[in-house]
Amino acid sequence: MRKLIYLILFAFLTTTFAQNKLSKLHSKQNLECTTCHECEVPTKTNPCLALCPRDKSKGISNVYKLEKAAKVFEINNIKGEKDIYAPVVFSHKVHAEMSEMNNGCITCHHYNPPGEIVKCTFCHEVDRNKSTINMPDLKSAYHRQCMDCHKTWEEKTKCENCHTLNNNYKPENSESSTVKINLPLKRPITKVYETEKYIKGKLVSFHHNDHVELFGLECTSCHKDESCQSCHNQKLDFKKTIDTTRHSRCESCHSAEIKNQCAKCHSEKETAPFNHFTNTGFDITKYHSKNSCKSCHAKAGNFSGLKAQCQSCHKWNGDNFDHSITGLKLSEDHIDLECSDCHENNNYKKPTCSSCHDEAEGFIVPQKLPGEKVN
Amino acid sequence: MSQNRREFLKTFAAIGATAATLTAVTPKVTKGKSTRPLSPNRKGVLVDTTVCIGCGKCEWACKTAHDIEPGSINDYNTKLTDNSQRRPSENALTVVNQIDISNANSGKIKLQCMHCEHPACESACIVGAITKQENGAVTWDTDKCIGCRYCMVACPFQIPAFEYHKALDPKIVKCDFCINRTTEGKLPACVEICPVGTLTYGTRDELVIEAKRRIGKDPDKYFNQVFGEYEVGGTSWLYLADKNLVDGVFPKLGTNPAPGVSESIQHGLFAYFVPPVALYALLGGVMWLSKNKEKNEGGH
Repeated sequence: MRKLIYLILFAFLTTTFAQNKLSKLHSKQNLECTTCHECEVPTKTNPCLALCPRDKSKGISNVYKLEKAAKVFEINNIKGEKDIYAPVVFSHKVHAEMSEMNNGCITCHHYNPPGEIVKCTFCHEVDRNKSTINMPDLKSAYHRQCMDCHKTWEEKTKCENCHTLNNNYKPENSESSTVKINLPLKRPITKVYETEKYIKGKLVSFHHNDHVELFGLECTSCHKDESCQSCHNQKLDFKKTIDTTRHSRCESCHSAEIKNQCAKCHSEKETAPFNHFTNTGFDITKYHSKNSCKSCHAKAGNFSGLKAQCQSCHKWNGDNFDHSITGLKLSEDHIDLECSDCHENNNYKKPTCSSCHDEAEGFIVPQKLPGEKVN
Repeated sequence: MSQNRREFLKTFAAIGATAATLTAVTPKVTKGKSTRPLSPNRKGVLVDTTVCIGCGKCEWACKTAHDIEPGSINDYNTKLTDNSQRRPSENALTVVNQIDISNANSGKIKLQCMHCEHPACESACIVGAITKQENGAVTWDTDKCIGCRYCMVACPFQIPAFEYHKALDPKIVKCDFCINRTTEGKLPACVEICPVGTLTYGTRDELVIEAKRRIGKDPDKYFNQVFGEYEVGGTSWLYLADKNLVDGVFPKLGTNPAPGVSESIQHGLFAYFVPPVALYALLGGVMWLSKNKEKNEGGH
């Protein structure tokens, strides 16, 4: 009898404790009631919980770090009678990064109760002949989740895009196999927007390639709330683009131009891509091609005011310059010379030897060098 | 013959009227609805056409389960793109079509026997070869069938097919709700193979609730109708779609059970043998009358 009383007491305490814990978490969560409760007045006896609450208001990326998750997952928890397909290798990292251009992690991780990230099997049963009819089974859930995006750019449903046939599968290649099914990206080099209202210059040329390759812009700095197929659809024709975003996308960097320098972007014809030599008169292809814009134009947003002389940026003189960074280590005879002894008229491209040596004797660079080559 | 045309028509109209009144009055007792109560556990399938991707795996699985040569599973998803509204036939008990033929991105819809709650085919079958099973399946008995094909005419969804190409022993063919599999506790072949879970197998009553829950949760996504809930008295297969399926995919059908109309005429005509007896009595009377007339005329 005493045992029974203890048991009842224990059960009572644990349930009340559990409820208290839940209510605390409730208040912390900052959620809309309707996210989890389907009816207007949920009660304790009838909480009318939504079966599959999808809270789009906040992502899970604030709580969990992508680096902690595995780079690729092998999905092998569904076994059929005859498995013609090998386990699917899912590149989690790639998808997670791409999802930043859309809804974020919540695109797939749609149910996130407090605590650890729940597995799909937490809600979705593996068995098709399942007890509940309210929820898709695991296989359906996977397929729906993946195909929701993947089918938008593929007219036919090709199983082999994700599934490898069982006899072709080698577990050790799982990471490389994701490269094989990686969807080719279609990126425009230049996009020409046609504007209706600004008559003086109807065309705005956007040099996409320059922004990505040259200016080093991250995809996410422009692409937000973007569907996958806006980059992955191979049938896309970037030339036929109607401007819908107006100035909003360019504003974060080009706010000054948008205010009072319309002609910087608006033109009557398509403009040529940015070229540092033709646009500014300073050729960067030889010595500065690997630099990012920032390494010279340190002040954000300000690209003017730099001079073409080396000394305006490089504080070099004959004493502190290490010549070996040019690929040539000077010999001891030459190391104490002044720069201008060889490089006349501030031309650092082509040295002359004639002030000391007789060129007729063969003292010409590159036949004879004032030191040895280094890499 | 002394009876002129006018008199003949009069008599004929009178007989017609009597017969019509009898049919109108008597059938109240019979009705179309089966007197046999439906099992509360009868099964059904909820087809969520917004989920379907049109892969055609269900067609393949169906053929495999029913010993029809299925061909390669990889050939099926191309069938959708041939822009035709295919019908279930003797070689394919189920087919998947685009809801809107001209639009490749439109929803896809799987067609097969709807397994009506009050099947017209069962009612039309004069030898009782078609049965509404307890689990909801409408099945066909090959031993009883005489091949009259009344069921094909009666079906409001034009589902039963006939093996016309077979000279000997042709059969009526239609979806049997995989009765052999379900009695073993397995799922119907199409439900089992569907990769995205378009098809949900369960108790029909629960499926109706679930269908309405989905509409309520996502009213922008779904057209507010569970096709099959009330159509022709209800069907075991229920459909959800993003548009009205009536007049596009399914014909416009009332909510009365299909057998209602046909049975009230059929059963009414023969109820308690009153109409035939009355008809013969009338005919006898007409004969007797005209005979008397003839005699009288002959007496002159």
